[in-house]
Order: sequence, then structure tokens, then C-alpha cells
Amino acid sequence: MLNFLKILATPEFFFSIIRISAPIIFATLAAIVVEKAGFANIGLEGLMMFSALSGSLVSYYAGSWFWGFLAALATGVLMSLVMGFFAFRLKTDIILVGIAINMMGSGGTLFLCKVITNLTEGKAMASTTGLITKSLCIPDIKIPLIDKIPFLGAVLSGHNLLTYLAFLFCLLTSIMLYKTSLGLNIRSVGENPDAASSVGVSVQKIKYIAMAFSGLMSGFGGAFMSMAYAQGWSQDMVSGRGFIALAAQAMGGGECLGGMLSAVVFGFAQALGIKFSAVGLDSNLASPIPYAVTIIGLVVFAVVRNNRVKKQHSAAALMKTAGKQEA
Amino acid sequence: MTKKRQLRFTIIRSLVAILIALLVATILIFISSAGATFAEKLDATREALKQMLAGPVFRFSKKNGTAFEAKRLADILAAMIPTTFTGLSVCIMFSANQFNLGAEGGIMLGAFVSAMAAIYLPLPAWLHPVAAVLLGGIAVAVTMLLPALLKTKLNVSEMVCSLMLNYIIMYVIKFLMNTYLADKTRGQIMSYPFKETSAIAPIVDNAVFSGAKLSWGFVIAIVAVILCGLFMYRSRWGYAIRMIGINQDFAKYSGMKVGMIIVLSQVLGGFLAGAGGGIEMLGRYTSFSWSALPGYGWTGITIAILAGNNPYMVPFAAFFMAYLSKGCDLMATYAKVPAQLIDIVQGVIFLFFAAEQFLSGYRQKLVVKSAEEEIKLAKARKEGVTNA
Repeated sequence: MLNFLKILATPEFFFSIIRISAPIIFATLAAIVVEKAGFANIGLEGLMMFSALSGSLVSYYAGSWFWGFLAALATGVLMSLVMGFFAFRLKTDIILVGIAINMMGSGGTLFLCKVITNLTEGKAMASTTGLITKSLCIPDIKIPLIDKIPFLGAVLSGHNLLTYLAFLFCLLTSIMLYKTSLGLNIRSVGENPDAASSVGVSVQKIKYIAMAFSGLMSGFGGAFMSMAYAQGWSQDMVSGRGFIALAAQAMGGGECLGGMLSAVVFGFAQALGIKFSAVGLDSNLASPIPYAVTIIGLVVFAVVRNNRVKKQHSAAALMKTAGKQEA
Repeated sequence: MTKKRQLRFTIIRSLVAILIALLVATILIFISSAGATFAEKLDATREALKQMLAGPVFRFSKKNGTAFEAKRLADILAAMIPTTFTGLSVCIMFSANQFNLGAEGGIMLGAFVSAMAAIYLPLPAWLHPVAAVLLGGIAVAVTMLLPALLKTKLNVSEMVCSLMLNYIIMYVIKFLMNTYLADKTRGQIMSYPFKETSAIAPIVDNAVFSGAKLSWGFVIAIVAVILCGLFMYRSRWGYAIRMIGINQDFAKYSGMKVGMIIVLSQVLGGFLAGAGGGIEMLGRYTSFSWSALPGYGWTGITIAILAGNNPYMVPFAAFFMAYLSKGCDLMATYAKVPAQLIDIVQGVIFLFFAAEQFLSGYRQKLVVKSAEEEIKLAKARKEGVTNA
């Protein structure tokens, strides 16, 4: 047990927590913004799969990670707009749209991968891991001064570009939601679309923007999965991160900071699972840990929230009776 | 709108949705088909489409021409068994507006529990499969209590919870198989063989259907469809489930125990998925070797959407999906188009079926037409009265 704790107290372990949290943070931010606009996008999983595939393929064919990265973002945004079209224009239940995208994201990406590699390479490939080399991945960044600090340097420096962006985006998204007129519009559409529309806000447009934002974030997440976390795309590689993000959004109370912390908790659970299997536990016993933590986290969050609401109610009731007695 | 027009609209809408999906499929097949010139590609596309659309029931060969293929039809009917159960399961849960996506994990857990019962329970022949399937169903029903109770007591999203459960179920089963239950004498990870008493007998076992494994499970599935239909449309509970799905607040005000009904719908859905897994396992396999989620749960969601959450329509939707899936498999074998095309076709059909406003202009026209006719009729009647 003590030995095991020793393994955990290494900078590598903390480094891996941050690394594993990054894609969950992107997806959580996506979930937070659409939730603020008053709906749920459960298609994040599928969006990330499509972005991951297009990112790795384009970076291979263009020979540069940058174009692949842009392609991943564009794929995420375009597909989210298609989702928006079905949800807002054709009035499909947004949850069903999400399910459909997830279905296509699982097998459909494999279909596209086989077809595209077959057209250009001559033989169908079931993953792009053979195509992507280290130079086609999004680069890691060493932070000049910080990497000299003994323990902290090894934890904080040397991460992927996108990992830093993930944490930066938490701040930026928070600013966007609370300090800009766009954020105000998004929140007002989510809270009361009729009131928002009565003061001249186009509800449809704002919903599309929120949807596109979630697509953009999924694009970042997908690019991270296939061009930083792993080298290349393989089937079902997102493995539930899009769903975990929905839980992180709920656990974080729908706010960016809380969502980020929840995402890090899941990152911790996953890193712990990986360490478990490193010391000889069956990986099938370690793999479900993040999913179990998600359920436990949701329950804890719900209990805390319910208690708070109850307290508020009883406080309000006390105030009322106190006020009456004074009068 | 008259009933006849309503029906016509539903049929046309469904056909258009399927046509759009097939159009998308054709384009994708065309892109992926082999051939240097346009004409060659077109030829390959036609060949692939022929395999996909007609292949499931006809065999094409240069020597014998086109022949009806009973074995493939039996294969399709057999493939319907698990998806009919997951389709029914999703129907009941979605009818109550509970987006529980646990049918996927549920069918795997049910199959696993039934398989264990088939290996380790010493029971007489007739009782063994019944007990094994019931155990599988009950195990999943109990599992579904978790998302259901969390939803009603703490308002935790049943969707996220059930999705997480799918992963947990899969990994725990893999762990148990790897560590304790695998038959170590085999090359791959699989359980010990089932006891012979546990098998669900095949319906047809003659030369025509040689090799096709169509078990009595198919009949059980059809019986389940009828029972679910009666439950949903002829029982108090079923009415309550549908009412909660339409308007939860109204259901509450009219005195229904909303929380209990929500739990009931998910437990029942879980039971159906689990029993379906058990029937699939005992009717088709002789030992448990699933190492990943089988995908029947997601197909079940598509089926429920195609069926409009109506249990009676589930077998037709399940047949359609099984037919399409078999067609895609054949296409992959004979025309070298990846079989995963099914996922894209499925997704497109799903989207258009679920789209409320799809072809709403046409619907509007039908409504206007009906209204105009009614007014004319009323006028004519009035004139008739005044004339008299």
C-alpha cells in the first residue's frame, strides 16, 4: 500500500492527470455552454470521433499537423451545425439527434476511414495509427522558467499545446458567458427564450451559435485524442469521454470552474486506473473506475444540491414566520 | 385530418426518409466502389446496391441465375430476436420520456447471467432455459433500479447514469471472464459450454435452412411484442406510462404515482433487454464469448424510433433493420464496400424519422384539404336543411 502511494506521489502521475483531463475539459465546456443556452448536446461523443478522424487523416495527407488540427475544428463545427439544423429547424428531439450522431460516430467513422484510406492508399485500414508519426502530432510545449522548478516543473511543463489551451479556455469561456453580450444572450435564451426574443434577441441564432461552440470544443477534444493523446485514430477511441463530460457539467453545477474541477476528478480516476493496471491489477477492473466515479459524483452532487435547496427553503420559511411575529 | 390521410402521410413520410437514406448510401457506395472510369464505378455501385437491397433473400450466381434463398431469410429472422427485445425495452422506457440508454449493457448482462445459469444450474430440460432467461431478465431489471431510483429520488440524469452503467457492466463481465470463469483449455476467452438441458430448441432444422439458427426464441419475441402491446394500450400501468411521457405534470395532478411509474418503466425495460440477451445466448450459442458490447441496444433505439414507440410496430422495424444489416454484410463480402455503411444509413433514417417538421409542408396541405372538405360538407348539410 505504501509502495503504491509512493508511485502516486511522483510528478509523472500528476502530469498524467492533467494530460488525461484535457479532452474531458474541452467536452465539458461544450456541455456547459449548450446547457446555458437551454438544451443538452449528448452527441459530443460522436462529434469528437468525427473530428479525431478528420484531424488525423488531413494531417497525414497535408503532411502538417496544423491543417489536420484546423480540419478537426471545422469538422466539429460543421457537424454540430447539421445537428442544429435537425434540432431547431426540423424540430427533432435534441437528445435523439445526439444519439444519431453517436451511432454514426461509432461505426460510420470506421466506414469513412476504410473508404478514404482505400481510395488513396490502396488498402482499407481500420485505424490511422500507422499513418500518424510524432511530427504529425500537435507539438508539446516546454515552458521556459517553470520547467526548472523541481517537482512542479515536471508536472506543469512539457504538456501538449492543446492541454494548455483546455485550461485557458475554461477562463475564456467563463469570461464569454459572464462578461460579453453574447454570453448574456446565451444565458437569457436558456433561462427564458420568450423574454429574450421579446427584447430582440434571435433565439434561433443564439442556439446555433451555442451549438457551433460545442462543435468547436469537440473539435479541440477530437484533435487532442487522435493527434496528441494517441498517435492516430482508432475505433471508439473517445470511449465515453463525451458522456463523462455531461456528468462533469452537472457535477460542476453548470459553471466553468466547477466543470473543470470535475473533469480533473475524472482525469484523476482514469490516471489511477492506469496506475492500478501498472501494478498488476487486471485492467478490466481498473477501466470502469472513471465511469463508476461519474455515477458516484453525480449522486454526491445531487445530494448536496438538494440539501442546499432544502436549507434555502427552510431559511426562507423561518424569515417569513419571523417577519410575521415582528409585525 | 382524416384517419386515412394521416396514415397516408405517415407512410409517405417513412418512404421518403428511407429513400433519402438509400440515396446517401448510394453516393457513399459510389465513392468507395472500385473502378477506374465513371462507367465502371457505376457498374460496381449497381452491383453493390443489388447485393444490399435484394441479397438478403436472393442469391445471385452466374450459373444458377437468381434464386430465392430461404437460409438468408431465416438468418434475418434470427437476427431480429435480440433487437426486437431491445426495441421493446426502449419503447417502454422512451414512452415514459425516460431516456435510459442502458439496453446496450442490459442485453450483455442478461446474456451473461443466463449463460452462467446455463452452465452452473442443474435443472431439468424444460425448466432450465426458462429459469436462465428469467434470471437474466431479473438481473438487468434490478440493475436498472439504480438509474431509475436515482432519477426519481435525486433527479440524477438517467441517461448519463445508464451510459456509465453500460461501460461498467462490460468491464466487470470481461474481468470476471478473464479471471474466474474462462475455460482455460480454449485458445480464446470463452466460458465452459452450456449444459445441454439449457438450449432453446431451433424451430426449423431441415435441409432448406441448413446452418440457419432460428430458435423458438423468435416465437417468444413475437409473444413478447403482443404482451407489450397489450400492456401499453390495454392496461392501467401502460396508460400511466404513456400519460407521463406526454405530460408529466398532468399525470401528477390526476393522481398518478409518477415516481413509481417511472421506476416501473425502466425496470420493465431492463427486464426485456436482459431476457432478450438470455434468449439470444441460449438460442444461438453454446458458450459465452462476448468481449464487447454487442450493439443491439443502439439498434433497439433506432427500432423504437422507427416504430414510433408502438410495440406492435417493433417487429416490422426490427425486420427492416435486420434486413438492411444483412444486406450491408453481403455487400461487404461481394462488393468490397465496408459493412459499417449500415451505421451511417441507420443514423440518417433515424434522424429523418425523428424529425417532427420533416415534410411538414405536405402535412399542412393535407390538413387544409381536410378542413376545406369538412366546411364544404357542413355547408351542403346546412343547405340541405334550409331547403327542406
